[in-house]
Amino acid sequence: MSFKYRGYAGEIIRVDLTNNIVTKQPLDVKLAENFIGGAGFITKILWDEVSPETDPLSPENRLIFAVGPLCGTGWPVSCRFEVGAKSPLTGIYGDSSCCGHWGPELKFAGYDAIVFQGKASKPVYLWINDNSVRIMDAGDLWGKTTGETEEIIRRDLGDHRIQVASCGPAGENLVRYASIISQRRAAARCGLGAVMGSKNLKAVAVRGSKDVKTENPKEFYEFMKEIIEVYRNDFYILDRIKFGTPILVELMNEISRWPVKNFQTGVFPYAKEIGGERIRKEYRIKDRGGFGCWATCEKPVQVKNQPYAGIYAKQPEYETLSALGARLWIRDLDAIIYANELCDELGLDTISTGGTISWAMECYERGILTKEDTDGLELTWGNHEALLELIPKIAYRKGFGAILAEGSFRAAQKIGRGSEKYLMTVKKMEIAAQDGRAQKSMGLAHAVASRGADHLKAFPLVDELGREEPIKARFGEKYLPEMAQPLSPKYKAYEVKDGEELCALCDSLSLCKSSGTCLPLYTGQIYFEDMAKILKLATGMRVSGEELRRAGERIVNLQRAFNIREGLSKNDDTLPDRFTKIPAPEGAAKGHVVELEKMLDEYYGLRGWDQKTGLIPGKKLEELGLDYVAEELKRLGKIPF
Amino acid sequence: MSRKILYIDPLECTGCRNCEIACSYIKEGLMNPQKSRIRVVRIGATFDSPIVCRQCVNAPCAQSCPVEAIERRGRVWVVNTEKCIGCGICVQECPFGAIWLHPDNGTAIKCDQCGNCVRHCPPGKLRFIDPNDIAYERGMKHSMKLKELLEEKNEL
Repeated sequence: MSFKYRGYAGEIIRVDLTNNIVTKQPLDVKLAENFIGGAGFITKILWDEVSPETDPLSPENRLIFAVGPLCGTGWPVSCRFEVGAKSPLTGIYGDSSCCGHWGPELKFAGYDAIVFQGKASKPVYLWINDNSVRIMDAGDLWGKTTGETEEIIRRDLGDHRIQVASCGPAGENLVRYASIISQRRAAARCGLGAVMGSKNLKAVAVRGSKDVKTENPKEFYEFMKEIIEVYRNDFYILDRIKFGTPILVELMNEISRWPVKNFQTGVFPYAKEIGGERIRKEYRIKDRGGFGCWATCEKPVQVKNQPYAGIYAKQPEYETLSALGARLWIRDLDAIIYANELCDELGLDTISTGGTISWAMECYERGILTKEDTDGLELTWGNHEALLELIPKIAYRKGFGAILAEGSFRAAQKIGRGSEKYLMTVKKMEIAAQDGRAQKSMGLAHAVASRGADHLKAFPLVDELGREEPIKARFGEKYLPEMAQPLSPKYKAYEVKDGEELCALCDSLSLCKSSGTCLPLYTGQIYFEDMAKILKLATGMRVSGEELRRAGERIVNLQRAFNIREGLSKNDDTLPDRFTKIPAPEGAAKGHVVELEKMLDEYYGLRGWDQKTGLIPGKKLEELGLDYVAEELKRLGKIPF
Repeated sequence: MSRKILYIDPLECTGCRNCEIACSYIKEGLMNPQKSRIRVVRIGATFDSPIVCRQCVNAPCAQSCPVEAIERRGRVWVVNTEKCIGCGICVQECPFGAIWLHPDNGTAIKCDQCGNCVRHCPPGKLRFIDPNDIAYERGMKHSMKLKELLEEKNEL
């Protein structure tokens, strides 16, 4: 079977777990042209098949694993796969991205996506070995950690080359922010591990041996070498390779953008103790990366001192050093590394885990929660022992852990007593490690992101680094100097809109956002035109940069439409009062709040969305070729004027 | 006999498989790790290392080939595809598992040290080296340690 475009496998797998049926269907050419791959496919399939009545943890929800056309081609840092479903944490559109070796393996096996529906009568895992796709008994795997699961599957099937993505005990126990792990890399946000658990699906194991062909392999390889030369000489990438994301810890602390004590402040006096320089010097063993990776964020570490001594597969990422560190006022790096390990093994999103616990710690500080609520645990700031006790309690839903397993938003609803006031969530999701008061574009990005409080849907970085050259190149000189100033709300809507389209494409092509795409390199950048060139060489699809941007915009709008159908509107594009009403108390952002309303109006204007309701006009949807979406939303009365 | 092996310290190999990518594109014009002449193994939390021909002096693959299809050309062993009958004895005999049969045409494939993987290695640590130079590097490293140790004890 051959697909119109190279790079794609041309086939998707459908798994009906209730009826134990596996079917294969050809990939729709129009789907590839309009939605590119990965997150684009997920968006379209969720729109088509998951309705507002669907409970995220019910058999009716879909769970989709998808890769893009570049995945498996060997293009630098194109090893990512996306997982999507209606999220049990937010109840809206949910997706999450993961690097490593699983995504390319799926392509080598000959598939662009797997769509799960239904619920197996007993624990199972899916075993894809080229053309053979089988639903296997996972009785022995149930209850195992993610690392154990991978080992057992490889051992049982007798092939070390098998790539496994699995949920841990947290997913099995339906923790609303359970992750999916593959070789210690995580698709963590949105609680997709719990969707696996709800379907009795423990893991997806893949082994493939087929060719991935590109349209013009010679030029593709030459262009690849050209980009690699850029990477090799780029100051920022070299720094990233050396330290990984933790290098940001001290930088972000400097601009007071680092969440500390549940975002009470943005400055952590002990940042150096848990920063990238120290990890490299005292803990790092080596660098590791996914298929075709140049950034090698994954760095195994060794903790030398008791009680947490051991060798661990990866250093905590920037987000985790925040969530399980500064956000809880924890400065014991040994303990943070161990907590990170626990979260990965048990299958928990470190951001939401730390976010939920930091909310609980603030409630404890303010006397809303007491030892009576917390099973006797002293939830004082900096108590890393309490953190390490809480993580398994959450994963196994034991005692107070069962309340926290619902995520901070639902936990606050249950506890009441004014605890809602200290929620740092948007659309029920715990906010990632950016204080929008110190970088206004991040504030806007968190408020409008389709999967809830999230930095990676827009990933506005040009102002974070205050770099003028990419702004000049991407937007033009007239946006300077304000757009490059993180504390100015001016023009941030432009940056966020542009970033959302770029990120939607990264997630759809299978590109990593951290390595030269969203993050403009010092020596060059990969932008829409470059993506169009890569896509053309890889697939033969003739698109311009502008058309690709359109595809990104289409994906962003369809995710928005999904959320509108779920009942969301402008009222949900908010930030906690702590960001919009309470000025940052210290550091570079001292005195600043997020001027959200102002940026939001401008953002809606640029998007062509209704400024009063945040809904999408029918005209806009039709312009993007989403007529069927316009029709359905009209029927539901969710189209403005 | 002067020879070089393709070498990377497992602690410097990132397991990113860019060597497989380069090899597959140069030799096959497509991406398929099953057609690459260098293949990375990742084990546990820290071990990554490529499996690749060591260009042995007394090469079991060449010695066992019933049709003498594995020929020495300069410092490397090369498969003469005209002669190769695809019997797989070389695969059986290689102690490192570093020679394979091509999945499509069934003849033997192995590394001929074209060097594309070396140029494509992100940390730039994959290199051609005379095995005796590895010994020299190891020896120096050990000696430096010993020197430090003795200095600490004030015995030097």
